[in-house]
Amino acid sequence: MGINQLSTLEHILITTKVEKVMNWSRATSVWPVTFGLACCAIEMMAAGASRFDFDRFGSGIFRATPRQADLMIIAGTVTYKMAPVIKTLYDQMPEPKWVIAMGSCATAGGPFDSYHTIQGVDKIIPVDVFIPGCPPRPESLIYGFMKLQDKIMTSSLADRYKDIFEEVG
Amino acid sequence: MAEPDVPPTPDMPDEAPAGPYVYDYKAAPNRQIVMPKTVPLPSLRTYLAEQKAAAAADEAKWLKMQADFETAKAKAEAEGKDAPKPPVRPVPRKDDNDMKTPWPQEAKDADLLLLQERLGDKVEEIFEQAGELTCQVTKDSILEVLQLCRQDAALNYEMLADQTATHYPAATGFAFSVVYHLTSISRRKRLRLRILVPEGFLPESACAVYPGANWMEREIYDMLGIRFANHPDMTRILCPEDWEGYPLRKDYPTVGWGQRDISFREDRGGRLDLIALQKAGQLGINLKQPKAD
Ligand code: SF4
Repeated sequence: MGINQLSTLEHILITTKVEKVMNWSRATSVWPVTFGLACCAIEMMAAGASRFDFDRFGSGIFRATPRQADLMIIAGTVTYKMAPVIKTLYDQMPEPKWVIAMGSCATAGGPFDSYHTIQGVDKIIPVDVFIPGCPPRPESLIYGFMKLQDKIMTSSLADRYKDIFEEVG
Repeated sequence: MAEPDVPPTPDMPDEAPAGPYVYDYKAAPNRQIVMPKTVPLPSLRTYLAEQKAAAAADEAKWLKMQADFETAKAKAEAEGKDAPKPPVRPVPRKDDNDMKTPWPQEAKDADLLLLQERLGDKVEEIFEQAGELTCQVTKDSILEVLQLCRQDAALNYEMLADQTATHYPAATGFAFSVVYHLTSISRRKRLRLRILVPEGFLPESACAVYPGANWMEREIYDMLGIRFANHPDMTRILCPEDWEGYPLRKDYPTVGWGQRDISFREDRGGRLDLIALQKAGQLGINLKQPKAD
């Protein structure tokens, strides 16, 4: 049997890395937590509804509890009073978890350079994808989400837990 | 009515919080606060006084023009030249455009007149402006006036539609006006009551007459720092519990205070923990961790 010929085994098996399968399954079933803060949340809802249909990318199941969610879309203005709540929700989400900062408010405070607004949600939680716009259209959100999918596909378990591995030695 | 007593202020740490509350105006001078120099409180009395002052200024200007003319004429005569033209009194500019501001007018409405008749000295001023009725009363009598407005069969204002306040830093004698917007659903009328309060004065809470005033008074306290006497729960409603300052005061910088450099967890968590410990201490509970030794 030549080396280039497919064996019987190869007809019925796919060889891949565990990491790749896990990344693939994660990237195609990212469940966001149902959570909106201001006007951007309306666009997020539109993205989830049938016209734009976020579900096509495996991300339409908005979970009502952070315990079942992988993704937090910060859609709106992060006020100083809401910040501890966001932090708590983020802490309650199980690993692996991702965050999208949607709109200029969540990325940099937006028009509210004012006493009550946190100038970007990255001051309190780590953010994976920033989406500019006021508000970003659902297409932008979907594009940002696909960027996040790319990020998940190229991520590696070793990278994610590098710090911990290094610490443990 | 019970004596208005000062609600106990919670024990707060003395030192001012560092970091996020300080804004460097030298770095961005265009963000400096501009304090108002006038008191734009609508009132018939001030309007009439302003009109009188404007008329007096016009008159003075006219007299000065005449005097100037006389001296110029004498000078021209002495020099043997032609006499200068006599001055013409300037005609006041006609204010007949469509966008005219409605001026405060004499009160003619029966409700306002009834209020004045019933309350006498307690009414400081009544006027109408653009069809809206305003009654300014003395700051100590507001509860009595509200009771009258609600219970009197001829007035019958069942609803407190809004209660709010304004800061007048340039005013003398008072710092805030607290405004009550009453609505009578059965009579389809609206009435505005107003009191002027100085800094530190505790107006009587309207909750006893209109229970809906509860949250509105909390908002006034939160935003402007006016405490109300005999309010069931005089705490902040919009800002976080540990907020410093009152954001709707004119001297409060609203721009440039965005939370940029917060070390979120230490700053807030520590402070809230401190407050929780103090509150627990007041209740006789010791939440502090027992020391190892
Ligand atoms: S970015 Fe614009 S649309 Fe989005 S929450 Fe802020 S103000 Fe609203």
